[in-house]
Amino acid sequence: MRIPSAKILMLCLLFVLGACSSSSSEQSTSSADFSPAFMGQNIDVEVASKWMRSCALCHVRGEADAPVIGDTEEWQRRLAQGEESILRRVIDGYRAMPPLGYCMSCEESDFREMIAFMAGAGQ
Amino acid sequence: MKKLNRRSFLSSSIKTAMVGAAASSPLGAAFAQSTRWSNWSGGQTCQPAGRYDISSEDQLSDILKTTRGVIRPIGSGHSFSPLVPTDGHLVVIDQLSGILDHDPDTLRATIGAGSRLGDLGSQLEAIGQGMFNLPDIDRQTLAGATATGTHGTGVELQSLSGYITGLRLVTPSGEVLDLDESSGDLFDAARVNIGALGVITRIEMQNRKTYKLKKREWTAPTEDILANFDELAASHRHFEIFPLVYSDYSSVLQIDESIEPIGQTIIPSVETSLADLRPLGVNATPAEKLARNNARAQTVEVTEAVDLSYKLLTNLRNNRFNEMEYSVPIEAGADCVREILKTIYDQGIDVDFPLEYRYVGAEDPWLSMAYGDHPHATISIHRTAFEDYQPYFDIIEPIFWKYGGRPHWGKLHSLGHRELAQLYPRYRDFMGIRESLDPDGRMLNPHLRRLFNA
Repeated sequence: MRIPSAKILMLCLLFVLGACSSSSSEQSTSSADFSPAFMGQNIDVEVASKWMRSCALCHVRGEADAPVIGDTEEWQRRLAQGEESILRRVIDGYRAMPPLGYCMSCEESDFREMIAFMAGAGQ
Repeated sequence: MKKLNRRSFLSSSIKTAMVGAAASSPLGAAFAQSTRWSNWSGGQTCQPAGRYDISSEDQLSDILKTTRGVIRPIGSGHSFSPLVPTDGHLVVIDQLSGILDHDPDTLRATIGAGSRLGDLGSQLEAIGQGMFNLPDIDRQTLAGATATGTHGTGVELQSLSGYITGLRLVTPSGEVLDLDESSGDLFDAARVNIGALGVITRIEMQNRKTYKLKKREWTAPTEDILANFDELAASHRHFEIFPLVYSDYSSVLQIDESIEPIGQTIIPSVETSLADLRPLGVNATPAEKLARNNARAQTVEVTEAVDLSYKLLTNLRNNRFNEMEYSVPIEAGADCVREILKTIYDQGIDVDFPLEYRYVGAEDPWLSMAYGDHPHATISIHRTAFEDYQPYFDIIEPIFWKYGGRPHWGKLHSLGHRELAQLYPRYRDFMGIRESLDPDGRMLNPHLRRLFNA
């Protein structure tokens, strides 16, 4: 089962931002910030659930300079380095991002879908 | 709706929990390897056979009953010690999270053990509760933090495990046990369990009403603080210092309850952070580093802030590191700190990270660092995740032993069961309970086999 990015976004705003209210970063997020490419995609519901419990902690608000979900320009710049390169950084950790990005149940296939989803390059 | 019999349900349940290449492998039972696992610092890694992504206690129980081989429960990977690495299976309980029940009269809340501490603060606030104390890092899970005896600061305050009033343990044989103080020894063993007794799925915590704290940070001569540490620790809810290496100064942190409005009440005009207090580099002499760091430390201004308790006690840590921490009897704490600082200076160890020195209240869980009738002092040393920690930690660890130190389970140490049994009075009792619950050693990886002589 797949769910649309708009629904994920709504869940982010409801839960993730609320949970992160202690953060020093006060970057606001609204649907107006996202490109049509991002808003039009879907993500597997189980992968979305994992993403909400891990990657979303930093990639919704841009904690520690993490690229923000739906910032397709920034994600395209990173994807230009190659998906495998990004995948290695996720699994091994990169700068402030810990290995596996806090998703202890994720496999490579999950990470690939999450990267594509955040970059607006998913299905 | 398609109905499943128990056998097919069980099969479906385990397949659902089994994630990764294995689950969809056309080879069926011939599972492919799962994605490599690493802890937060990157210092511990393993290549597990697979991961079980648990969505219910029944599912977990079924897996434990019907599968074989080693399994290790994982939280958020914040343990620096090799508690997790296995070529068996990892058990992930992220989905067992959130507040499951609460009592507004007793101020107790039953919490899914996979909850991250940083998420719980606002959830508890919504029901008018706050935890008595919290550790520094907010991304840890409640299960992981309590299993390792993770603590905050406060001579009158206990570790997270000290506030556990009940828990649910799914044993290695799949049996589901609800434990509380009426359960006796098993309860005191399970509150700090190192993931050796099974998998904890839910925890009832004794909380208090939501409250605010005021934090004050400044720098002061280390000796001035150490000379009065007992009085300072007794007169503030939280009091700790971060003794700076190659310096006569410490960063001082005190936190007390407050009724002041939330806000940053003092913001230094030009803040000198600890990052600016680094030694001059490998080519500088210890004396040059000392002079530079002392001069810098004297320029640090006071910072004050008022906020809800959970927002001041825990932090998001983006600078990854490795850590060793031991607790020592309070009367030995100051001398232990002095000897570590002197050793770093005398040997010219190239380290930037300050130490951390604090008190933790006495408590009952058998494997707690502060088990017994008296509070303990805890001392931490750190090294960035991108440096080799081993040479530094190898030099300092014997100093902890000299002062009767007990290691933190989630942090690096090199002790085995013989030494540990001398330091933790109920260690052999814990080993006995572990053996009775897990005679086949399903919960044991190489590190735990060493800890428990199994």
